[in-house]
Amino acid sequence: MAGILAPGLGVLAHLERLENQTSRSRKRSEAQAQERVLGTKIQKLRHLRDDPRAALWHRRGSVKACIANVEPNRTVEVNEQEALEEKLENVKAILQAYHFTGLSGKLTSRGVCVCINTAFEGNLLDSYFVDLVIQKPLRIHHHSVPVFIPLEEIAAKYLQTNIQHFLFSLCEYLNAYSGRKYQADRLQSDFAALLTGPLQRNPLCNLLSFTYKLDPGGQSFPFCARLLYKDLTATLPTDVTVTCQGGEALSTSWEEQRASHETLFCTKPLHQVFASFARREKLEMSLVS
Amino acid sequence: MDAELAEERVLQAEIAAVRRACENPPAPWEEKSRVQKSFQAIHQFTSEGWKSSKDLKNQLGHLESELSFLSTLTGINIRNYSRQTEDLTSTEMAEKSIRKVLQRHRLSGNCHMVTFQLEFQILEIQNKERLSSAVTDLNIIMEPTECSELSEFVSRAEDRKDLFMFFRSLHFFVEWFEYRKRTFKHFKEKYPDAVYLSEGPSSCSMGIRSASRPGFELVIVWRIQIDEDGKVFPKLDLLTKVPQRALELDKNRAIEAAPLSFRTLLGVLGIEAALESLIKSLCAEENN
Repeated sequence: MAGILAPGLGVLAHLERLENQTSRSRKRSEAQAQERVLGTKIQKLRHLRDDPRAALWHRRGSVKACIANVEPNRTVEVNEQEALEEKLENVKAILQAYHFTGLSGKLTSRGVCVCINTAFEGNLLDSYFVDLVIQKPLRIHHHSVPVFIPLEEIAAKYLQTNIQHFLFSLCEYLNAYSGRKYQADRLQSDFAALLTGPLQRNPLCNLLSFTYKLDPGGQSFPFCARLLYKDLTATLPTDVTVTCQGGEALSTSWEEQRASHETLFCTKPLHQVFASFARREKLEMSLVS
Repeated sequence: MDAELAEERVLQAEIAAVRRACENPPAPWEEKSRVQKSFQAIHQFTSEGWKSSKDLKNQLGHLESELSFLSTLTGINIRNYSRQTEDLTSTEMAEKSIRKVLQRHRLSGNCHMVTFQLEFQILEIQNKERLSSAVTDLNIIMEPTECSELSEFVSRAEDRKDLFMFFRSLHFFVEWFEYRKRTFKHFKEKYPDAVYLSEGPSSCSMGIRSASRPGFELVIVWRIQIDEDGKVFPKLDLLTKVPQRALELDKNRAIEAAPLSFRTLLGVLGIEAALESLIKSLCAEENN
């Protein structure tokens, strides 16, 4: 006891000190107790929160697991399906690609409908079809081949013995006709300025007759051209005659020109010959001016 | 203490939220219905899947037979095809209702013994009046490459960008090739001692020898040519090998005239009969 030496005063102070100590420790323990309580409360709250959340998550998780369990089988099915679909798309594409060979077809209930595509120098032109009935004998059910193409002749020669030859032979005729028609059309549309009269042509486009001038509006005499395409599988004429209107006696330069034109018409497509005429004229004009 | 109190508040709020989530029937029901829906969807898919898988198989079978029919009909067998499309329409063009599309195609396959690989481009221009399509580029790789005539023909087709002519001429070339092979084979089998084929049945020449007339030899060269227009035609020539002595005895110059006479003979008898007559004429005794 520290307070014996100073009786009275020391004891009070001591008691005060003790009281303070006790109250402090009491407060401390109260706080601690409160903390403890709060801590437990928090724990409980956490538990409360987490448990149902856990339950919820668990439920969600199990659903996901359910779906996941279903998926493996699904992926096997999907793979097979996808492979089949891919193969189908591939075959469909190849069937379409036959158009680029010029000869394609679709199966029909009776046989096959063959489609013949035509082109000239890269320009894709008209298509024609021939509907074949696969029977003995093979016959043509109907077709869109123009009447002036010798279809019956070609069929009589090849249809029964060599169908490939029949088809490709028909291709030759149709492509040549398409090409001749294209040249005549281009001449009429692109070089009307150089023609001094209408272009005369037959439906088969194997006989053409026209008059033209190299310098439209100029003083020169017009040329008269007659193109005959005896070979119906060709796009270039077999017989060309170029004459010069007006002059009885042609000067040598005109004669040379006339002869060169004949050669040109025999060796180059019609519209290309006129394109070279137009270029030459432009060149000459630019030289003169 | 403050921190703990704050945490307590937060926890209370979280609990309330979780409680709501747990208590609101839609949430877990939603899950279940979603699962049900997916089950249904999967089942539908698989049952539809099974149905359309059979459907697909049928469709595939039908199309594959159509493809094989087309291949037999045309003699051309396309094995691979792919394409890419590029839209080249500019805003200017679109305003004038003009559409420009570039297609790139790749195609490979074979026609009998010839395999081909093509890459080409097609430019499509659509305006108000019409649609125009043109081949703007064509590249062809063909095998076998031995025939020089074929390589010339390929360059010509590429220059002209004439896709259809390529296939047409290819078909006729192969037709003639196979016919030549069959014809040579036929004669080799019929006259095994007299006829020899230097490169086998695919060779372009056939030789005729006679054991009883050594030193004499007739060689028929049969070329398959493709002209400017893509027309395929055979060109046959006769070459003679004759001992010097025989040449001296040949007063009528029959040997000199042989190649020309052969051409005439071809015109009269046709290829097979003309060849047969040549063989018989050289090997007359053996065949009696």
